[in-house]
Amino acid sequence: MSNPYQPIPATIIETHDETPNIRTFKLKPEREIPFLAGQFVELTVPGHGEAPFTPSSSHFKRDTFDMTIMKVGRATSALFDLEAGDRVGARGPFGQRYPLEKFEGKDIYIVGGGVGLAPLRALFLALVHEIDKYRRIFLRYGARTPDDIVYKHLLPEWQKIPKVDIDLSVDVSDERWMKKVGVVTCLMDDIPCDEKSSIAVVCGPPIMMKFVNQKLLDAGFQGSNIYLSMETNMSCGVGQCRHCRLGPYLTCKDGPVLTWDQIKDIENPFV
Amino acid sequence: MGEYVLPKSNISQWLSKLLAKYAVYVPIEVEKQVHWHLLEPRDLEKEPDAITPAQRRIRASEPVKSFMFQPRRQVASFPEPFTPEVSKPRVLLGIKSCDIAALKVHDKILGEGEFKDPFYLAQRKNTLLVVADCPEPEQSCFCNLLGLTPYAMEAGDAVLSVVDGNWVLGVTESGKGLVDLASELFTELREGSSELARRDEQRHTALVTLNMTNTKPWNPDLAGAVAAKLSDTAFWNKHAETCVECFGCLMGCPTCYCFLLYDQARDAGVDRTRAWDACYEAAYARVGGGANPRAEFVKRFANRFSCKFSAFKTDHGMYACTGCGRCLKSCMGKIDIRKVLGEL
Repeated sequence: MSNPYQPIPATIIETHDETPNIRTFKLKPEREIPFLAGQFVELTVPGHGEAPFTPSSSHFKRDTFDMTIMKVGRATSALFDLEAGDRVGARGPFGQRYPLEKFEGKDIYIVGGGVGLAPLRALFLALVHEIDKYRRIFLRYGARTPDDIVYKHLLPEWQKIPKVDIDLSVDVSDERWMKKVGVVTCLMDDIPCDEKSSIAVVCGPPIMMKFVNQKLLDAGFQGSNIYLSMETNMSCGVGQCRHCRLGPYLTCKDGPVLTWDQIKDIENPFV
Repeated sequence: MGEYVLPKSNISQWLSKLLAKYAVYVPIEVEKQVHWHLLEPRDLEKEPDAITPAQRRIRASEPVKSFMFQPRRQVASFPEPFTPEVSKPRVLLGIKSCDIAALKVHDKILGEGEFKDPFYLAQRKNTLLVVADCPEPEQSCFCNLLGLTPYAMEAGDAVLSVVDGNWVLGVTESGKGLVDLASELFTELREGSSELARRDEQRHTALVTLNMTNTKPWNPDLAGAVAAKLSDTAFWNKHAETCVECFGCLMGCPTCYCFLLYDQARDAGVDRTRAWDACYEAAYARVGGGANPRAEFVKRFANRFSCKFSAFKTDHGMYACTGCGRCLKSCMGKIDIRKVLGEL
């Protein structure tokens, strides 16, 4: 019987600094981890603990995978001390994937905030890999300052992809910034897709999720079509330890992505 | 189920035979409390029925889950994978109805889902369970409110009743070997035998005692009632007022299964340990960025009731409580779960 708590070794083969405190790690696991966009992996930083992260690369290429991680706690701080060639542990994939079959033929309206663009990148790349299946893809992304934008070198390339429409905002601008200034909801005043049938996908800090979700509902999006990445304390990753309980759900098993219809009756879901 | 009587004069001999093959744990009384004890040959040199009195008492202080789902155990290592040791087969001789019912909770979570806990399953497979009657329920017992009885509803591998100092043993197919290894010490009982009649009389008396202790049944839709009350902070505050957050109720609970995985550096690698956790702990649900959906204790207090009596019932068709009474016996704040649920 396999041991769900046992990580497999994975080698860091490359790192890329996205912002002063967000870095992308490219990992090569000893065995392929068969994740699909939306699922997550528990990453072990040897001697410093374990934390859940959603891969940010395409599930159509899995011999290596990327994780874009913000330095916030003990494990992530220790991870930032590692370099290419160092080994970490990984176990997974865990949780549920995005139901891409339900997205087919529709407009996909993706809203990200800060490092929340990391898991959305895996979805975005999966969508553009089979772009003919979807109507259009909108990406709305907000960061605190221009320096805090992740994937700066990739965004111009993504904008060139047919059927993809990208718009950005920052809370605080500088003299170089030519786009909108304000929280990400300032990009949502005119949503250029059919709200009744379109799919919305949101990931970011809880307060941002709360307001973006409300804006989507006000615009007419169906609760069953709004996919939200819920942040909870996940330890085991396999639906046993109960740390990640959110109302009737265990986000590690039932999520981490849940629809607004699933969580709307939970008191203060965006805490 | 085959039913046998083991005369009190043969008990030590049978236990000696068991010890040759198994690690045998029995309940013993220590300063009026019942605790589990690993039987040793020298214990059998005492009075032949010295361990019988504790079999008539209620469940041991330590929940039976601790044998299968240890409070702390290694579950992984890195970079080399962890290989667990193989332990000697065990017999838990004298678990109670409330404890075997509680193991069903762990079976569902650790043994039946998409991801199974190989350590739990190995210990479960390695352990024979003998369920002893509770002829003398105490004031803290309330298994009757959960639809259970003070004697085995689920036999496990064998059922034990102490009748006039002799041991009446009912064995299922999986427990047949317990009798077979010393069949000469047992006498098979026929239906209608005086021992079985006396056992049934004891069981009836125990049930009557429990029904007199816990007279008022709970709301038949307890799951719905708890869910509806969840945001009533005043209600939960009233009941949580005397809690000192010692977590005794959670550590003693035979159904609680929350755990935490933590890593410790060792030489050039890491050992990963799975340790019991407590949902009353302030940091229990706190995320890396610092946000905490249950920062106030009253929310954690209500969450415990929601988990046991609403979510688990909805998800698995049973309450995560078996009425063992350990929570109220251990509570320094004198919080009685029966009183809380009785008001719903």
